[in-house]
Amino acid sequence: MSERMYPGLTQEERTGFAPYSAFDIPADLRELHGRYDVEATALRVRNFRYAEEWMMMMMGGWIATIPEIPVKTGLGKVIWETAQAADELGKRLPELRCGRKSLEASEAPNTAFADFVQEVSNPETPDLTIEKLSGVFDVLIPHLVEIYEIHNRETDAICDAPTIAILEDMVRRKHQHIQWGQEVLDALCDDAETQKRRRDRADQLSGLLKESGGVTGVLETVQASLN
Amino acid sequence: MKRFIDHEELARDSRFIRQDAAQANVISSLPDDVETVVNVFEQFGPMIEAGVRGTSAEPLFEELGPGFMLTVLNEPLDPEAPAALSRLLLRMHGIFVGELQALEGAARSLWDFPDAPWEFKMNMARQCWDEARHLQIFEKLLVHLGGHVGMYPESTFLFEACCSEDPAMRVAGVNRGLEGLACDVFRDMIRFADKTGDEVMKQAVDFVLADEITHVRFGSEWVKEFTKGDPEHLKRTQDFRREVDKRFSFGGARSDREDAAIPIAREDRLEAGFTEDELQELSEISGIGPSKATLTEAAQILRDRYHETRDAQKEEAS
Ligand SMILES: [Fe+2]
Ligand SMILES: [Fe+2]
Repeated sequence: MSERMYPGLTQEERTGFAPYSAFDIPADLRELHGRYDVEATALRVRNFRYAEEWMMMMMGGWIATIPEIPVKTGLGKVIWETAQAADELGKRLPELRCGRKSLEASEAPNTAFADFVQEVSNPETPDLTIEKLSGVFDVLIPHLVEIYEIHNRETDAICDAPTIAILEDMVRRKHQHIQWGQEVLDALCDDAETQKRRRDRADQLSGLLKESGGVTGVLETVQASLN
Repeated sequence: MKRFIDHEELARDSRFIRQDAAQANVISSLPDDVETVVNVFEQFGPMIEAGVRGTSAEPLFEELGPGFMLTVLNEPLDPEAPAALSRLLLRMHGIFVGELQALEGAARSLWDFPDAPWEFKMNMARQCWDEARHLQIFEKLLVHLGGHVGMYPESTFLFEACCSEDPAMRVAGVNRGLEGLACDVFRDMIRFADKTGDEVMKQAVDFVLADEITHVRFGSEWVKEFTKGDPEHLKRTQDFRREVDKRFSFGGARSDREDAAIPIAREDRLEAGFTEDELQELSEISGIGPSKATLTEAAQILRDRYHETRDAQKEEAS
């Protein structure tokens, strides 16, 4: 057994350390290669950032026109966490060869999704809290969670691990946001008429979302469910 | 959703009623003359009375007449003074709705200025969360002191004064004018809580004050950034802030004057990025209103006249 601390130039001059790899114990079953390359990942991150940034902005627009105080205060926290999500996604872009100025880059996948986002933001007057919240907490955030989870399953688990880490953190918080939003909506929709308003709004927006192909512009939910 | 809303469009639940903003604006532009002050308040008397009927401010009106706000604003909070609790609750409620409007102002900045730099949006988003917590904190403090939401009418003049369509002016108004006033008021509340031994209030307001200093700093930095390379824009922005500061001084109630009910929190403001020159200027602007002696005399006349008229009416009726 060699007692060398450092390798030398010949076959005999090896160190005595056993070849240990953390990946071997237990065996690392992850395989290289995912559905998205660097360029595609960067585009997806810009798409995600577009949705997060606009969602944060529209909730900011609504706080003043929503009469329920606990909804105003609850949205304050959701806004901050959504802004942090957009910020983290932006910081990932320079790492994906988008240049140092890409921190603020957002991109809609197509005009249909941009129109969908504007439609979500449309309700304005104080009597429309249900329509406002349903768009975000029944439709948009659940859609984003679904796509982020698909991304994390299908991207290269080692090469794209930084994106996975960002999305995992976002998904954890988004589950809390959905839970809060749906509790509020359940409380606000306490009769048949308001429950119908909530359903109609969610149906209308889900239709538009589907037509647009969602946050990345391709119907990923269908692809995923085939398997 | 449109960009830019009016103060009348702020949404409220059924506990709230509004106060006419004209009153606050009038107080900030009163001259140092007893007769004028009395005349103005007598003229506004019916409007003031209609605004307080059915609210917790009614007993103050009954006691002090249409000039009750002069006494409330003019006298420092004193746990030993008559109607001390009513006045404390009135101030607490004013802070509560101030936080509410600060939340709404910061949040609207996210929607109203979609092309603003990302760092600005991050700062405003953070402020939304902070103001949301402040709202929760002051609702709890209001209840802690025995009050409740909606017990007094809400004046929306803070939001009104701050909702410029120019982002530089918006942050100058909200983050330097309104938030600067918040620093002064909170420092005063901490002093008061210290005097009364209210540790709950003292600690909570101390945390809120720490947040507000950060918000003023956002304002100090963004005014500079939005007006960079445009001295004329900077001048217009500073003029606007001066105007806001004047209105938020309530005729000298918030000032550096020795008799001020709310002194300017110099140390906190310096930490938040106000310069010595700006503080000097604020001290001059805020000290312009009527003297304490003028307001005290006017308040007394208003009270006496109100009682005389009321007694005469009662006699007539019987
Ligand atoms: Fe605040
Ligand atoms: Fe603030």
